[in-house]
Amino acid sequence: MSRHHRRKKRFKLRSFYIWHRYMGVAAAAFMVLVAVTGVLMNHPDRLGIDDKFVDAGWVLDWYGIHTPDDLLSFRAGDHYVSRMGKHLYLDTREFEGRYRDLVGAVRVHELLAIAVDDSILLLTPDGELVERLHTRDGVPAGLLRIGTDPAGDLVLEGGLDLWTPDADFLRWQPWHGDRDSLRWSKPQPLPPALYQALVTHYRGEALPLMRLLADLHSGRFFGRYGPWLIDLSALLLVLLSLSGTWIWLRRRR
Amino acid sequence: MRPVRLFIILFGLLPLAAAARGTYQTPQDFLAEAFDGQVPEARVLWLTGTRREQVKRILGHPYPALRVRYWLRGARSAWILDETGKDRPITFGVLVENGRLARIRVLVFRESRGAEIRHPFFTEQFEGLKLDPRLALDRSIDGISGATLSVRAMKKIAALALYLDTQVRGEHVPTSP
Repeated sequence: MSRHHRRKKRFKLRSFYIWHRYMGVAAAAFMVLVAVTGVLMNHPDRLGIDDKFVDAGWVLDWYGIHTPDDLLSFRAGDHYVSRMGKHLYLDTREFEGRYRDLVGAVRVHELLAIAVDDSILLLTPDGELVERLHTRDGVPAGLLRIGTDPAGDLVLEGGLDLWTPDADFLRWQPWHGDRDSLRWSKPQPLPPALYQALVTHYRGEALPLMRLLADLHSGRFFGRYGPWLIDLSALLLVLLSLSGTWIWLRRRR
Repeated sequence: MRPVRLFIILFGLLPLAAAARGTYQTPQDFLAEAFDGQVPEARVLWLTGTRREQVKRILGHPYPALRVRYWLRGARSAWILDETGKDRPITFGVLVENGRLARIRVLVFRESRGAEIRHPFFTEQFEGLKLDPRLALDRSIDGISGATLSVRAMKKIAALALYLDTQVRGEHVPTSP
């Protein structure tokens, strides 16, 4: 082999090696991302991330997760009962389950009563559920209003009639008296600090961390062309392995 | 298989999942059946103190309310109780007679899978069961594959109703640690 030929061959190898390096650098950032998110998603239980949510504001904004505009709040004693989306809160404490129709909330002697979805949630002042009363327990269907009479007893308006329970909330009977004496629960604006706390809580439970990891892993997080970027980096990785092998073989010779 | 065909088949299976959900018997009908049409007045049992701890031991978690409603006449007590299978609560009706489970029914099923537990071939296994000193059922129950969590929920509720029956009768339940 002539000197000129050897030099040409070395130059070719070096230019291939440079391309190999560029491809490596280009793919590295995405491959680190894919590897790290992949490992995290493989062990969610051990890492304790399977029930975690993302609360970073910019990430939630990026996903278009905003506060619903159908916030409804009532004051019951020293507490506020609010529904935001399908979440129901006593102050900042969320109740288990999903709720649609919050009618109102009142304090009844030592308990709190919340009328929601054709049922009454009876709570201790600490917010512990005593019982959820349904229509099968005598709660009138089609709840329209919840309030208290001058004695502080619970009164419900269901259909055209007014109803009141006995002291144990076991039996319901029609309420008779001066309707003007009743104090109905009415919507009230939340104090700004409580509103902000609810917004933070609501948005903080909208995006599971596992979903974010899956979107980063697949590239969907980066938008429409994100998956193509990940595909491209995967292709680069394939080329890297081929070019790396080729360079190694050439050098051995 | 072509994606379109696969989609059509999967879409066709969706109603099967939805069909599992539903009210199989109203609580009122269950009570009427349990007391031969003469339903006694409802009473409440508070789950506080030791009772609360025992309930937690049976369910593996606290009962989500501080009191439960029951109906009692003579040797019979009936209970309407909720327990979550996988994600959503299942409403059960349980009748206890002379300290033994006389009947258990799925009243409302809200999960997408596991509704097979409502069938008599399964619920009949519970008839005659008692509570053992460990606050567990005194006989084993054959499970249903694909309905493990619903089966577990029904077993817990059966044990809970038997325990609560002892409480409304003021019976002392000797329990092992």
